Amino acid sequence: MSIVRTLIDILSLFVLPALIVGVPMYGLAKKVPVYESFVEGAKEGFGVAVRIIPYLVAILFAIGMFRASGAMDALATFLDPVLSLIGMPSEVLPMAIVRPLTGSGSAAIVADLANQYGAGALVTRMASTMFGSTETTFYVIAVYFGAVNVSKTRHALPAGLIADFAAMLFAVWICLWLFG
Amino acid sequence: MLNYIWAGLIVFSLVFALFFDVRDLSRDTYRNGAPLPVALDFEDRVFDPDADRQPVTLRIALDTYGEFYNTDARPDSAYAAQLRRTDDGLEIRLDADASLPAPLDQIRDTTNPRDQALQGTFVGAQLAAGASGAIGGMEFAPVRFVKMQAISAAALDFADTAAEIALGLIGILVLFLGLTKIAEDAGIINALVKLVRPVLGPLFPNIPKDHPAMGMIALNLAANVFGLGNAATPFGIKAMEELQTLNPEEETATDSMVMLLAMNTASVQLVPPVLLIALIGLEINKVYFAIVLTTAGSLTVAIIAAKLLGRLKRYRDTDPMRLASSTSSTQPDEVQS
Repeated sequence: MSIVRTLIDILSLFVLPALIVGVPMYGLAKKVPVYESFVEGAKEGFGVAVRIIPYLVAILFAIGMFRASGAMDALATFLDPVLSLIGMPSEVLPMAIVRPLTGSGSAAIVADLANQYGAGALVTRMASTMFGSTETTFYVIAVYFGAVNVSKTRHALPAGLIADFAAMLFAVWICLWLFG
Repeated sequence: MLNYIWAGLIVFSLVFALFFDVRDLSRDTYRNGAPLPVALDFEDRVFDPDADRQPVTLRIALDTYGEFYNTDARPDSAYAAQLRRTDDGLEIRLDADASLPAPLDQIRDTTNPRDQALQGTFVGAQLAAGASGAIGGMEFAPVRFVKMQAISAAALDFADTAAEIALGLIGILVLFLGLTKIAEDAGIINALVKLVRPVLGPLFPNIPKDHPAMGMIALNLAANVFGLGNAATPFGIKAMEELQTLNPEEETATDSMVMLLAMNTASVQLVPPVLLIALIGLEINKVYFAIVLTTAGSLTVAIIAAKLLGRLKRYRDTDPMRLASSTSSTQPDEVQS
């Protein structure tokens, strides 16, 4: 497993340079006016960034308010009995709630757990697995749909949240199985 | 669904904030109007009644503190502070970097948010010139409706942060969208489409054969796999734009868009995010395997969820592809391959 891991690590170091250098080089070989193409494509970037602002503001301010209201703590107390059923330690619960909402918030939880219980503790490992294996669902929805001005997202959010919920369960069970 | 969750977040933050604030008021968490018992110590100096400000050491008895605020938090044994003469009497002001226990940290943040220094009026026996210390109380400005203030501050803060994040993306977006354009012109995207068609085709049945959207999706997923979060976003946005060209109804998401989103939130990763490595260090080697297993499992669930939910009546009825083909037979139906 560790050889595969090292290989993937090294490979991933080369992906970005290969992309940034390789694509223009290949384009040159194909007689593409690379500089002009680059600039033409790049022009879109600013527009996209500006276009997603309303979507991102809408999502993030609501999440910020929810966090500041102390609702997370209340939710954690409320859900505590359910947790023992699925084997999740209550220390990890804030992570499971916050992960789909904010990236920086969940990073802070990992840092806090590592600080309190040590980086090798089971709860820290569970939280790290949750952090590493899923994306911030609300952020992804705001950015991707914002970029194309889609506001009726249909089943995107339920599907994303179901996947997140599954990831939280898998993280708990797999960590219990590997390290428990 | 997003409508309800969004409104829910806002409404519930008000409800919870009110609940916590009322609870704080009824429990008198901040002991408004009651002075906290403290001892002042001038160390090797003495009290000078004419000085505008003088250094002083503030001591709070641990047990008294716990009893006074009814808390398990304990203050440090001594705090460096300034004693200032004001019109209202003597004011104690702690250094800005002092580490304060709850609820003093909350009192500091609420009563003096600008310079983050805890300040309060000294109440107690008249201090005589030349005294080496004094016992008395420290009275703070009243603290009420903390959470109420916090949610409005958070709303403003996060609106700011959101705009910052979006604008912060500009550089990377520009770089990768430029590269993507070269790749498109050089025919790399088309080659990629042919390569991934057998694997991704069944997941995105609404994308016509040889459409560049498939190539962009492949790039987006590949960037995710290699932990290039920065590159994944521009590719994902590009993929969404390509999918939007196939969308007959501008404001509504198509099944393909939902599938792409679901796959992105589950994010297949063979390389863990750099941020996580920064947080837990070498421990990453231990959880690496767990992350790969979890991510594979959640990706499977994401794909199944997106497919099955799409079959529900309420989501099938809003499918732009289906609507377009059933309502307008005059339009050329090129998207339905």
